[in-house]
Amino acid sequence: MSKEEILSMLSEAVVGGKVEQAKVGAQKALDEGMDALEAINEGLVNGMSIVGEKYAAHQVYLPQVLMSAHTMYAGLDILLPAIPKTQLDDRKKCSICVVEGDVHDIGKNIVKTMMTAAGYDVVDLGKDVPADQIVETADKEAVDVVAMSTLMTPTMDGMKEVIDGLVESGTRSKVKVCIGGPPTSPAFAEEIGADHRDTNAQDCVGWLKEVL
Amino acid sequence: MAEMNHIERAMAALGNQEVDRLTTYPIACGVCRKLLPGNVTYKQWCSDPKLFADAFIAGQKYFDFDFCIGLMDLSVMAGDLGAHVRMDEENTPFVDQHIVHDPEDYEKLEVPDIRKGRSNVLLEGTKIYADKLKGEVITAGFLEGPLLALSQSAGAERMFMDMFTNPELIHKAMEVTTAYDVEMVKAFAQTGVNGLCWDYLWANYSCLGDAEYGEFEANKYASKLNQLTQDEGMALAIHNCADLPHLDTQILKYKPAIYSMAYYPLIPGSPKASEVIEKGYADKCLVAGQIDPQLFVRGSVEKISKVTTDLCQEVKTALCKRGIKSSYCISSGCEVPPDIGTKMENIKAVVDITKTAGAF
Repeated sequence: MSKEEILSMLSEAVVGGKVEQAKVGAQKALDEGMDALEAINEGLVNGMSIVGEKYAAHQVYLPQVLMSAHTMYAGLDILLPAIPKTQLDDRKKCSICVVEGDVHDIGKNIVKTMMTAAGYDVVDLGKDVPADQIVETADKEAVDVVAMSTLMTPTMDGMKEVIDGLVESGTRSKVKVCIGGPPTSPAFAEEIGADHRDTNAQDCVGWLKEVL
Repeated sequence: MAEMNHIERAMAALGNQEVDRLTTYPIACGVCRKLLPGNVTYKQWCSDPKLFADAFIAGQKYFDFDFCIGLMDLSVMAGDLGAHVRMDEENTPFVDQHIVHDPEDYEKLEVPDIRKGRSNVLLEGTKIYADKLKGEVITAGFLEGPLLALSQSAGAERMFMDMFTNPELIHKAMEVTTAYDVEMVKAFAQTGVNGLCWDYLWANYSCLGDAEYGEFEANKYASKLNQLTQDEGMALAIHNCADLPHLDTQILKYKPAIYSMAYYPLIPGSPKASEVIEKGYADKCLVAGQIDPQLFVRGSVEKISKVTTDLCQEVKTALCKRGIKSSYCISSGCEVPPDIGTKMENIKAVVDITKTAGAF
């Protein structure tokens, strides 16, 4: 297969949510001696970008987006270990989580997918994450971005607790903080001292590209 | 026009007849526990039929609403289907351990005994407030739709992906959650409520398109439950607080008596009250909305009073332009947060302002 055919295979696999095709394409890329980073960016990520645009245009919906994300990760599992560490060193690092008291994580997972597709090194802390763990990770992992989400009103104050913790630990000035989730708003972001609040994953990634 | 009582006003608005003022019902449910003596926690409230009912009765007395709709939370069915529900003292309960880990787990779902667990708390509590408020206000029960019950049980992300990879298993599971809902509808009909409000949350374009929603809830399952609701003598109400609801399906096709919805100003395409009216949806049913629920926690009385005044004006103008009379209810777009920090005076302000600014 030519390089173009492999890239097309990877991209189409992600668009169509075909996990096996992504695995085969990723392995094929390595077997043919392709640059793994190129296979990711021009194949998998290209496919995820197409899906992201279609989702924004309401041409595809959550089931397809989630399957595409799952497919992209299957390809990444094969390609990422083949990238020399030095090639990844300059990637910006983001931590992402759902704050303590909430477990609704679909939105968080979609943002994570789009961040990964955009080339960020994403540390996924999961859901129901205590504030001190988020602060500790920001410091220990030297992240550039702290992203937090919640669906439930009573847990919103947990976001402020994180930002206060970042200030206290001296980390706040080194990171950008963005929040999301239905009960949050730009006014709430301003009130608690976050840098940004976004409505969807693609816009969030667009903002990250501007500020980092 | 002479002052109407709650039932006269609600019945007139449901029929789009002349009213003395717009109807109002901020969806204040769990938050009303704060009106009960003894610092009742959320956990106590949603586990005890009497406390559940007493909160609605106290809320009606204190706030003077035009409707009473008995929402508990969205994990009642999932919990009784076997999912683990985390119940913090002062937070809305939520599922923290799903019951579907492998595709074959969908086939293990069984309709639970609705006279046990929180299904029974919900039904018994509903019966108490329906009986107590009968003759004073229109009452409705509140029930999770079958796709919502399944997503809460299986995990939404898993369910959405399985729609893609294992659609036949999703349908099998939907048969079970629908059968569960059928039993609940029949039981709600025995409580004495006037209506039943469904939460068909996933009918929104941020999650599902018309084809997916049609296949996995609307065509086969919700249509059956909607018909059953009416056959059992209850008015059909629908609540959907998602950002881009399927209005054509849920209003034009389902034909509810009441449709409750939210407005997300930052999301392109999210329709505000006047747009919903202009597009003819309030010709078909009583539409309810769309005050930002967060205002009840973070807004001042002055702020929420202004928002309510502006919404009343916007609605009255749009109704007049459309040539219809009263089919909009001043409400919150979603449940008033049952947070202990929610300001009761803000709920009161919405009702009181509607009495003046919503007058015709």
